[in-house]
Amino acid sequence: MSDDKRPDAVLAAEYALGLLEGEDLLAARAREGHDPAFAAEVAQWQDRLAPLADEINPRMPRAEVWQRIEAALAEDGGDGEVVALRRKLHRWQWIGGASAAAAVALAVFAFMPGAPPTAPDGNIANLPATTQSPLAANMPIEGTPLRLDLTYLPDTHDLLVTAVGLSADGVHDHEIWLVPDQGELISLGVVTPGVVRSHEVPEPAAQAIASGSRLLLTREPLGGKPADADAGPVVAEARFNAI
Amino acid sequence: MRRASQASRDRLKAAMRRLAGGDRAALEEVYRATSAKLFGICLRILKDEKEAEDALQDVYLTLWRRAGRYDPDRASPISWLATFARNRAVDRLRTGKVRRGAVPESEAAPLPDSDPLAEDLLIDAERDARVHGCLESLDDTPREAIRSAFFEGLTYAELAKRDEVPLGTMKSWIRRGLARLKACMEAGV
Repeated sequence: MSDDKRPDAVLAAEYALGLLEGEDLLAARAREGHDPAFAAEVAQWQDRLAPLADEINPRMPRAEVWQRIEAALAEDGGDGEVVALRRKLHRWQWIGGASAAAAVALAVFAFMPGAPPTAPDGNIANLPATTQSPLAANMPIEGTPLRLDLTYLPDTHDLLVTAVGLSADGVHDHEIWLVPDQGELISLGVVTPGVVRSHEVPEPAAQAIASGSRLLLTREPLGGKPADADAGPVVAEARFNAI
Repeated sequence: MRRASQASRDRLKAAMRRLAGGDRAALEEVYRATSAKLFGICLRILKDEKEAEDALQDVYLTLWRRAGRYDPDRASPISWLATFARNRAVDRLRTGKVRRGAVPESEAAPLPDSDPLAEDLLIDAERDARVHGCLESLDDTPREAIRSAFFEGLTYAELAKRDEVPLGTMKSWIRRGLARLKACMEAGV
């Protein structure tokens, strides 16, 4: 059987088992993301194979593991976190429509560097009422035709990260950093490839973000920069501009 | 194998629903009920206590942070959690952070059954477990390769290297095996 002839069901099984590497893995992962029929097939294989785990003897983890989980939860802000996340999600769904309008506005102003701060009527009809101008940045990713679009909404402290066209390589994540005028880099979160996502910007970063603020994108292990490691290599950079 | 009690299954499902609603106590309940099972899985894949502990921590924190991803109407909670833990452990292997073979496989593989907890959370008891019989019906070579992929997290390339066969050969063994496995499970034999 050649690589391209195998039926989808077999590819889904290979992917569910974790047999794939490199380009095959990336292709399968991307398909799982945009092909619901394939994703369902993968999920079905996972369900089918799951009973094999019954052969694995359970082992009690040390009590310390739960203590570490609790400590990490406390850092997250505990109970409120999920509630805040859901609230944010609702807001994001609402903003989702608006971000298309923001993108249009960005495209318009990209060619009009001296544009007045008042946007043409119509384009901003869906935008949330803001008292401060949103900021936008466009990050071309070195060595690729791809770019990351960032829009910051100062009123809600939301950073909309558009990573459509990017796909995960299964080995790395990319993390966005704000370079403040003084002090250490502040993480603005890890990019989720292939989607538009809203990131809540932490308070110190929200204070520091202004037109002209510098941003970096670094390549990190999955999950973002480990707490005890230096940031990975910088793969892109950009500056915010008011739109 | 003992069958899961309906009560413990329902309790876990209820805890998973509360977890999705942001109930922190529910996370602890899910942890108490399932961590031995999931730690066993992480340990089997990663073959290192420290790595398995890190993976386990990552599993429950991710579960908390993205609690909405579990759909109680689609999958049994323990089956879903087992898959989730296995995938996270395999992801860790792939990041290269784990030194493969740091513990010789012969020493690490058959782990002592030191604490047979959570026996009432067997996946079998809730799910169609045809996979056991169907896997047994395959020839030795594809069966062992598929088992190694599941239990050790080995890729095609790693399996081919281990068994000293060309990559293409390993792929066709396994693909034929997977196609037969699918046919067997769908036939309901």
